[in-house]
Amino acid sequence: MNLSSLTMLLAESAAVMLAAPLVVGTVHLVKARFQNRRGASIVQPYWALASLLRKEMTVPEHSSWVFRFVPYVVLATTIVLAVVVPSAGIGAWPAAASNIFLVAALATLGSVFLALGGMDTGSTFGNMGANREMTLVALAEPALLIVLATLAFFAGSANLDGIVAFFAAAPWRASMLMALPTLLALLLVVLAENARYPVDNPATHLELTMVHEAMVLEYSGPYLAALEYASALRLTAFGSLFMNIVFPFGIATVGTGVEMLAVGVLSLVLKLGFFALLIGSLESLLVKMRFYRMQEYFTLAFLIAFAGAVLAFAHTF
Amino acid sequence: MSKTIVELCRDHGLPSGESGSASLSRDVLAARVYDLVEAGAPLVLLYATDERAAARGFVVHAAVQAADGLLTLESALPAEDPRYPSITRLVMAAHWFERLMHDQFGVIAEGHPDFRRLMHHENMPAGTHPLRKDFAWNTKLPVADEPSPMHRVEGKGVYEIPVGPIHAGIIEPGHFRFNVRGERILSLEGKLFFTHKGVEKLVEGKMPEEAMRFVERVSGDMVVGHTLAYAQAVERVTGTIPSARAKALRVLWNELERLTAHLFDMGNMPGNGTGFSFMAAQGFRMVEELRRMHAMLVGHRFLRGAIVLGGAHDVSTESQEQILATLAETERDLKEVLNIAFTNDGLMDRFETTGVLSEAAARAYGARGPAARASRVATDLRAELPYAAYATHAPEIVTEKAGDVAARFRVRARECAESLRLIRAVLEELPEGAPAVPLEGGTGSAYGWNEAWRGAVVDWVALDAKGRIERLVITDPSFMNWPLFGEIGPGNIVPDFPLCNKSLSLSYSGTDL
Repeated sequence: MNLSSLTMLLAESAAVMLAAPLVVGTVHLVKARFQNRRGASIVQPYWALASLLRKEMTVPEHSSWVFRFVPYVVLATTIVLAVVVPSAGIGAWPAAASNIFLVAALATLGSVFLALGGMDTGSTFGNMGANREMTLVALAEPALLIVLATLAFFAGSANLDGIVAFFAAAPWRASMLMALPTLLALLLVVLAENARYPVDNPATHLELTMVHEAMVLEYSGPYLAALEYASALRLTAFGSLFMNIVFPFGIATVGTGVEMLAVGVLSLVLKLGFFALLIGSLESLLVKMRFYRMQEYFTLAFLIAFAGAVLAFAHTF
Repeated sequence: MSKTIVELCRDHGLPSGESGSASLSRDVLAARVYDLVEAGAPLVLLYATDERAAARGFVVHAAVQAADGLLTLESALPAEDPRYPSITRLVMAAHWFERLMHDQFGVIAEGHPDFRRLMHHENMPAGTHPLRKDFAWNTKLPVADEPSPMHRVEGKGVYEIPVGPIHAGIIEPGHFRFNVRGERILSLEGKLFFTHKGVEKLVEGKMPEEAMRFVERVSGDMVVGHTLAYAQAVERVTGTIPSARAKALRVLWNELERLTAHLFDMGNMPGNGTGFSFMAAQGFRMVEELRRMHAMLVGHRFLRGAIVLGGAHDVSTESQEQILATLAETERDLKEVLNIAFTNDGLMDRFETTGVLSEAAARAYGARGPAARASRVATDLRAELPYAAYATHAPEIVTEKAGDVAARFRVRARECAESLRLIRAVLEELPEGAPAVPLEGGTGSAYGWNEAWRGAVVDWVALDAKGRIERLVITDPSFMNWPLFGEIGPGNIVPDFPLCNKSLSLSYSGTDL
């Protein structure tokens, strides 16, 4: 029996969506271990989400429909992002839609709505966080697009599936060296897009330093659960994209045997575990940068991405 | 170098020099205080007393630090017209004291540039002056709505950020008002005094031993800092002389508290200020080990009971060995951790040039402790006016030049090394004798001071004829350092404020007695 497009779609979407809180839990555990603490169980984020879902929801008095609309948009765009990004396998139907521009647009759409939600409450922190987020998005966008365009150029396909398929076809070949700057730039962008160190501190309790957290400060109960889950899912989606390009092993393809699906899911879990280890380690070893150094960080990301693009062109001709 | 009390009095035509106090007319008080401050004797304390029972009305006392003690200039104001020309116009360090004296006693500093309420919030009815003797401590006050405005900047793109008094983290309550343009701070003001306990009022009429329990609780993390200053003030009034062993033990407890608190701050500044969690994890672990040792030594993790009136808590020979063993571990770990901190470029980048306090501002505001010493102000009461066994075990005054967060971090790191040296020196030659002597009876008034880890604590205590407390004035160094925010905040960006805040490490509770 061969793997059908629908089975693949359902299986990989379910895997990514179920694994998302686990990725966050693993990051927390890694950080705790770096601090000589035992840390909470890696399944803790599931309990946190469950308890948020049961809690009462407080909606600020002076907020409009935008505030209530935001969690749905953010959650929806992130779910679409997670579904179209190749995770356990490639070749499933939505791959046709996983154009690099769509991915960049989905990521930005989520950020924009999150910022709107922060601003809608009229609270200073929400506005401050929204201001900062928009600054960061504007700075991150050029690097993100160049990275995706370079990958597309390498693979000769603007689809993420095509890109992953290209790397999976002959992983770690010598010419891959040419893609190293692009992959490094991708990592820098992934950190920024997910409000991680050194751009933002997801664990801070200091309102004045927050970016992502400041925008969701007024949300509570199920809305907050939706936003928290969306942010975990976004991290997982970007993580599987990054890992599938860097370690393009064990990726199932539609049309091969069903047993490949198990291999694909298992290797996805391993890859995400490694990704969480990487993020947790980075956040333990790095210091958050000054906000006014952000343009330097993104300039660096842009330059590395650009160097990667130049190398890609030079390699081809 | 500052002059002795006698020299200062002679040079400035002040009466009764040897007693360390001079009575002046209210018209010349500000000018004389200014002369003394200009002559190198900084203003350390400004307080009022209600002496209407002795027909002296309200008395304003200003204490300046001379080379051999504190010189007091006082001026009696008539009860029906308690006004005097403001000292703040000439001496910046007086600005919070004068606002506080007005809230407490209704004494009016005429010409004060910013005479808003300080201790009282909007809900306190006008004309309430709780430290007057005719105000009962348990008076139920109606809830008022008096104006209590904060500074405001207006202009294109300028907006206000109100923060607190309830924060996302578990810290004490304080309200901060930022006026910013983009991320740049234009002005910054704090509104504190949310934790009023009424200590100065409650201890009135109590015996000094009973008041000790209140003094221990002024600021939970600076127990020795406060109790040592208070104990020395009471002992000076009553003529009680602690034994040589007690004096040495007091140095031990004071330095242990300094070491513990500095370790905490050195973990907190990088850990919670910049998100370098490694430092918080390691710093707080070392702090915990020391606190457990404190609990074992004196029965309290924060050293309550370490200082007693007439002496100090004793340590046995086995305990001394244990202290040395624990400190050896702390020193080894600290060196390793500091090495990692100082070689971390990201961390140093966050620290350097952030929250600069100029030397001129530090002197003008009368900044205390590590904040002052990080800005070239070599002030340390342990060396300037030695007490306990500090004359024998003199500390080196640690100063840095840059005045930024990095400088405040370095001052703490170097002071830890100095505390370790002092503790070992004290334990090496701990004198024999009783750790405490009984407190004598007595009446009168005196100062007591202590260079606590946050900076100088200066207390003034007056005992009545029955030996009960007539008035107790306590100043936590935080009271002098809180206004520094207005200086170090502007020019920085909003996300760096928590780091500036942690680098000053101030107490809300100690400020709001």
